[in-house]
Amino acid sequence: MIIGIKDGMKLIGIFVMSFCAVFVCTLFLNYNMDFAGIKEQIAGPELMVLFDALLATGKVVSALAGGCLLLTSGIMLVFYIRNYIDTHKKELGILKALGYSNLRIAKDFQIFALSVFAGTALGFGGAFLMMPEFYRTQGKDGLLPEITPHFHPMLAVELIILPTVAFALLAVGYACIQLRRPAIDLLKERFSMPRKPFRGKAKEDTSADGIPFLKEVQSATLRSKKTLVFFVTFGSFCYSSMMQMSGSMDELASEMFACMVFMIGVLLSSITLLLAITTVVHGNTKTIAMMRVFGYTHEECKKAVLGGYRPWAYIGFVIGSIYQYAILKIMVSVVFRDWDNVPDYKFDVKACIIVLISFTILYELIMYCYAGKIKKVLLKEVMME
Amino acid sequence: MIKAENIKKSYGSRENRFSVLKGISLTIEDGDFIVILGASGSGKSTLLNIISGLEKADEGVIDFDGTKIESLSEEKLTEFRKKYVGFIFQQYYLLPNLNVDKNVKMGADLAGNKDYREMIQAVGLGEKLQKYPHELSGGEQQRVSVARALAKKPEILFLDEPTGALDEETGRQVLDYICELQKKYHFSICMVTHNSNIAEMAKKVVKMNSGRIVDTYTNEVQKSAYEIEW
Repeated sequence: MIIGIKDGMKLIGIFVMSFCAVFVCTLFLNYNMDFAGIKEQIAGPELMVLFDALLATGKVVSALAGGCLLLTSGIMLVFYIRNYIDTHKKELGILKALGYSNLRIAKDFQIFALSVFAGTALGFGGAFLMMPEFYRTQGKDGLLPEITPHFHPMLAVELIILPTVAFALLAVGYACIQLRRPAIDLLKERFSMPRKPFRGKAKEDTSADGIPFLKEVQSATLRSKKTLVFFVTFGSFCYSSMMQMSGSMDELASEMFACMVFMIGVLLSSITLLLAITTVVHGNTKTIAMMRVFGYTHEECKKAVLGGYRPWAYIGFVIGSIYQYAILKIMVSVVFRDWDNVPDYKFDVKACIIVLISFTILYELIMYCYAGKIKKVLLKEVMME
Repeated sequence: MIKAENIKKSYGSRENRFSVLKGISLTIEDGDFIVILGASGSGKSTLLNIISGLEKADEGVIDFDGTKIESLSEEKLTEFRKKYVGFIFQQYYLLPNLNVDKNVKMGADLAGNKDYREMIQAVGLGEKLQKYPHELSGGEQQRVSVARALAKKPEILFLDEPTGALDEETGRQVLDYICELQKKYHFSICMVTHNSNIAEMAKKVVKMNSGRIVDTYTNEVQKSAYEIEW
């Protein structure tokens, strides 16, 4: 077995995403299940509207948070496996050369689902710790009948066991597909990339004074790992949407809820951005080393390797701003439309500017740290490999 | 001209410290072809890394046309490599996600060389501009690295076992391209190799063993890549 438990637990990004997704889903779904049982105790049409609105909120939040985060975790898992295979070509090639079947090798990849199990189990447990306070807040401080949290075994199966099994199957299946290449290609560490760098009919570049080399490296870095572009955009999207949501929802939801969204936003976006940029720098160590050997400055190396991600980070920020506005607007004008006490929701420009400034600082700080890492790339170490 | 004097280099710390270079002095004249010959572990690659500004010596002076390389900051060393030095390594180190054209452009852009495709033609790869490194043979990849190094118009070319990963025929071909291009562009060559036959191609040979120069001699006749034994 070439993949150990340690490798399985290294998937911190998937762990955090699973944790966040299950934490939010458990809170809302458990509440919905307990809350649905007291329908007959609801007195008056106005409270009934609130009852329906709360149930709808639970469903919407669970579907959005759970669905979105689990989908992203799936993409991250696929990315991890591909990266793992790319960095362990020789070991995998030897196994294939020795006669191990693709499925036999791929089976080891199920260990990657351990991170999902750890994340979902902790998210589930964490949600139960928060549940009394959450129930109190959802009960609108005594406006609705008091309910106590109950444990629903089915929810545990759906939120812990099912995702773990699904991710284990995804890991094995995807690894099996990725391993379908000749053992000799893996042994010789042949680089896997499309023959044509562009979609459609590739235009032959015949001009010698076209795009400068640094721009070429920048776009080639983006092209070679498109998933990382997605993660950088997604990380910025999470930061933008969740920070703005937590800042502008003070009249719409409780402090606890805003705080929860804030924490998830910071955690999710920082980890996603850190993981993506770490992979970018690791994957380009040799490129950086060779550029420095040839006399490209530290600034030029940094720009070539990391510079291409900046526009995507800000695109993610803009999408996140629009997304959070749309979600809150829909919640206010559709889900809670019959509820009198809900104020009208307008786009919070002030929150947007504050979040944009903090995002710029965070993003540039991360880039600054990684620029330091680029500076520390030892030319000799790379060449001695 | 590069003049290295009393170069010393050690690795490790305290009891594990071992001396790789024990006081090396050598001179590379403009337009020279010098081969540093030695077995594995003799310190030849470390010497090449130090005189090319990739690594710093513990002691000694390296003078490049009046500039003391050992006292340069990291930024100045980068500038030095950019202006004057070209490299060719045993493992090619081509950028895998860039095609032949873009790989050579890496060197050309540093020198503002717009005619870099002439260099690709010169190493016989004019038809493979759009190919990626993984689509080329070992010999072709090394020829790309030759074109890349020379596209930046270096004054001195450093080669670390350039034929180490190549078969005889391809190795001869690569060396021949390098020699032909030296005649045309007049750069200096400093090549590290363990193959004593290749040393017959050089003007000057520096033999190393255990971190010391054990012999230095000049070849009366410089053989071509196709005249030497392999």
